[in-house]
Amino acid sequence: MTTIAAPPRSGRTVALYALAGAVLAVWAFPVVWGLLTSFKTERDVLAYPPVWIFTPTLVNYRDVLFGASSIVPNLFSSLVVASFATALTLVFGIPAAYAMARLRFPAKRTAGFYVLATQMLPPVGLIIPYYLALQKVGGLDTYAGLVVIDLTFSLPFAIWLLVSYFEDVPVEMEEAALLDRAGRLRALWHVILPQVRGGIAVTTIFVFLNAWNEFMFAVVLGGNRVRPVTVAMFNFISVEQTQWARLAAGAMLAMAPVILLGLFAQRHIVKGLTVGAVKGGGRR
Amino acid sequence: MNIPIFGGYQEDLWPQAFADTDVELAPASATPNPAKVGSASVRIEGVVKRHGTTTVLHGIDLQIAPGEFFVLLGPSGSGKTTTLRILAGLESVSAGHVYMDGGDVTTKEPGVRDVAMVFQSYALYPHMTVEQNIGFPLKMVGTAKEVIGRSVDRAAAMVGIAHLLQRTPGQLSGGQQQRVALARAIVRQPRLFLLDEPLSNLDAKLRLETRVELKRLQRSLGVTTVYVTHDQEEAMTLADRIAVFMDGRIVQVGSPRQIFAKPLSIDVASFIGSPPMNLLVGEWEGHAVTVGGSTVAVAVESAQSRDVVVGVRPSDLRLADGGLRARVEGVEHLGDNVIVDLVVDERLVKLKTDRAPVLREGEPVFVAFAPEDAHLFDAESGVRIA
Amino acid sequence: MHAGRTFEQQERSFALALLVPALAVLVVTTTAPLVYLGWSSLHRIDLGMPWLSGFAGADNFAKMGSDPRFWNSLLLTAIYTATTVVLQVAVGLALALLVLQIPKGQGLLRVAAILPIVLAPVVVGLFWRTLVLAPDVGLVDMVTRALGLGSHNWLGDPQLALISVIAIHTWQWTPFAFLVLLATLSTLPPDVYEAARLDRADAWQRFRHLTLPLIRPAVVMVVILRTMTALSAFAAIFAATGGGPGSATEILNLYAYRTSFSELNLGYGASLAVVLLAITMAISYAMFRLRRARR
Repeated sequence: MTTIAAPPRSGRTVALYALAGAVLAVWAFPVVWGLLTSFKTERDVLAYPPVWIFTPTLVNYRDVLFGASSIVPNLFSSLVVASFATALTLVFGIPAAYAMARLRFPAKRTAGFYVLATQMLPPVGLIIPYYLALQKVGGLDTYAGLVVIDLTFSLPFAIWLLVSYFEDVPVEMEEAALLDRAGRLRALWHVILPQVRGGIAVTTIFVFLNAWNEFMFAVVLGGNRVRPVTVAMFNFISVEQTQWARLAAGAMLAMAPVILLGLFAQRHIVKGLTVGAVKGGGRR
Repeated sequence: MNIPIFGGYQEDLWPQAFADTDVELAPASATPNPAKVGSASVRIEGVVKRHGTTTVLHGIDLQIAPGEFFVLLGPSGSGKTTTLRILAGLESVSAGHVYMDGGDVTTKEPGVRDVAMVFQSYALYPHMTVEQNIGFPLKMVGTAKEVIGRSVDRAAAMVGIAHLLQRTPGQLSGGQQQRVALARAIVRQPRLFLLDEPLSNLDAKLRLETRVELKRLQRSLGVTTVYVTHDQEEAMTLADRIAVFMDGRIVQVGSPRQIFAKPLSIDVASFIGSPPMNLLVGEWEGHAVTVGGSTVAVAVESAQSRDVVVGVRPSDLRLADGGLRARVEGVEHLGDNVIVDLVVDERLVKLKTDRAPVLREGEPVFVAFAPEDAHLFDAESGVRIA
Repeated sequence: MHAGRTFEQQERSFALALLVPALAVLVVTTTAPLVYLGWSSLHRIDLGMPWLSGFAGADNFAKMGSDPRFWNSLLLTAIYTATTVVLQVAVGLALALLVLQIPKGQGLLRVAAILPIVLAPVVVGLFWRTLVLAPDVGLVDMVTRALGLGSHNWLGDPQLALISVIAIHTWQWTPFAFLVLLATLSTLPPDVYEAARLDRADAWQRFRHLTLPLIRPAVVMVVILRTMTALSAFAAIFAATGGGPGSATEILNLYAYRTSFSELNLGYGASLAVVLLAITMAISYAMFRLRRARR
């Protein structure tokens, strides 16, 4: 860590730590507050002044998991959609990124530009034709429909991210593998891919995260059978009342996977964000 | 000091500059090692390489005998590495052919040429152990595990890294990494061995030690070797024959001794030798050359007066009572040698001797050389005349 | 020229084999639908009143010109995008600069910064709508009541609603700017600053003449990415206000959605989407050009 400012005096340090603490509180409070709320009874939630010390209860989680409006099928939907979207993205994206990063072929620049352009699409531009098309072929409320439209956005993003990782692999590595009689495909598998393992991990995390958190496609193209958790959140809100505690419990469960993923893979995520942002997407 | 690097070279042709390689190898003949089975002859015919509108190689012709240690020497960008990569199959040719053992391999894939290469950066596979690195080429062609094991052990022993087999490249020093790269190349007993400036990433002392070992290794394996370097000292000590590259062309091919004794152009002359050959402009008539008012004798006669560039090696110059008028600029004491910087005819000239002269800065002196030590080049084309 | 073709041909066919599947997927999933979108925008597609559907030519676009809700959405989009991006960069940069001086605090903050980013925007919107901004029981209201500033309808009041959604978006994405800028600032060479100190440059001058130019590429990239997110923001606003009250928070993205899926007027919705698409493309093109020009 380099400090580019003059070394701070201790009074200033205390103030800075206080500020850092405040920022930490601001950023972390939804999760913390949500967690607390999820263990309260509805009455405790609505109490004013807010109750900090209360008897925790699991009734909300019980209702949300096993009750009439259980979100378990929704968790399942989210899992299926996100997993398939991620898997397909990697299957198509990894070879494509390698080709873009390494190999010479005609119209390479055009292809690169095309991939970049598809990243810039606003989702609403696609949701309308998808809805109309899927409606005609009975593709609404299916896993396939959601997976495919998730793919539209994950794939260019994944390619963009992976290309920079592939470009970091020294060219000589592949040449050595070719000379070692590996052939292009085996060179890719045995030599190149192990070296971009980190990049693939980062990409997987981001793609899964985006697919899991996706809302607009889920709400438009999903239905009763396929309803990811993001949509299921609205089960707990209606015009008459908001089931605060249950909503909190539901939200906690819905966000648990991504929060855990985020916390465990925090370093990877930060690296992925900075690689993407600093290295830039306009290089081709 | 008489340090025979290769037996058979005579002292007066071997300048002191190379004396720091303080090792005696088994006396070698002036011809390449008798080839072992499986080392290839290589022939390059009329190879041209273009990158878009730029021509990188202007028609290269080479013949390399089996078992020969052949060096491609030249400054950066002269096309030597490109030529090497063409031999490897990593670059295509725009025109011309490459033959190995008589067969046309010009369009063949790198993997099928039975060629091994040591890259400048070593290109080791960082996620594999040393053992896996070395065994990789054998694994790729489906060699049986026990055979791989034995071959890896043998190759590792040959380069002295048998104790490092379980480490990963990241845990090795530069010199050790280089040996792993070597082992990986020799483990499959290729018919052609290519090396791309393999010593340039090592520090000076390690470079000298490794140089010796490389030569020894090549002799014992007997495999045809093509070696690229920009370091003329390396080339002179390692090569059986050298091809000097300049601007995408080969300007001279010959043994180190031949190139040193008779450089065919000013470019080659000023590239080989440390310090490089002194070059002076003058007029040549009869048996004499006039430089800046002074006249010296040369061995070859010219019928008419013509403009020439005279080349004299720093070690062939000596202070004398007559000859070329010079002014002392400075004296550099290098330990075993002394280099005297002089100005002759407004050009900087270096003189190398092992006896420290007593000189003052600015002192006017005379320098002379034996007539047969003069190299004469045409003033316009730079081509050697005599 | 026989020599060399096989080698390059082989590389070419390998590359295409790897790339074509992905490209095919992209063409099918993006280009074809986009064409369909354009086609739809030239039609009237009314799912609620199907008998009205049919070819409409440029009617939808003409209607847009005199549609006050459209212009409102454009204005809101501009305000929303500009405000959130500027806030994110400013706050993120300020935080990064301050946190740089306390290396021990950085680790913890970096973990905390992950949390807003990984949460689903829809959950963030719901959360703020319920636990933070709800009148009386929400966090903000509790604070304002405690401070004697009274209770307000943060999401129901047209003016406050826009501020609220801007706050939500900024809250969620500022950590991104923070993380990227912190990483960039950490890699700045310290010797340049030492030289500047010796040249008697004060803190502000060092910031202006050294730091800002050096982090410019990262800032530009952050701006581009965040602008794209702001233009296509949907879930958080939808969850928090649904676009309302009325059209107080109805950015163009939301307007297109509501027209298509609440009012079931898909033709007009498609044309709105086309306009948004054009705007997004234009802005990203302009930004990338700017980025190249600066290099």
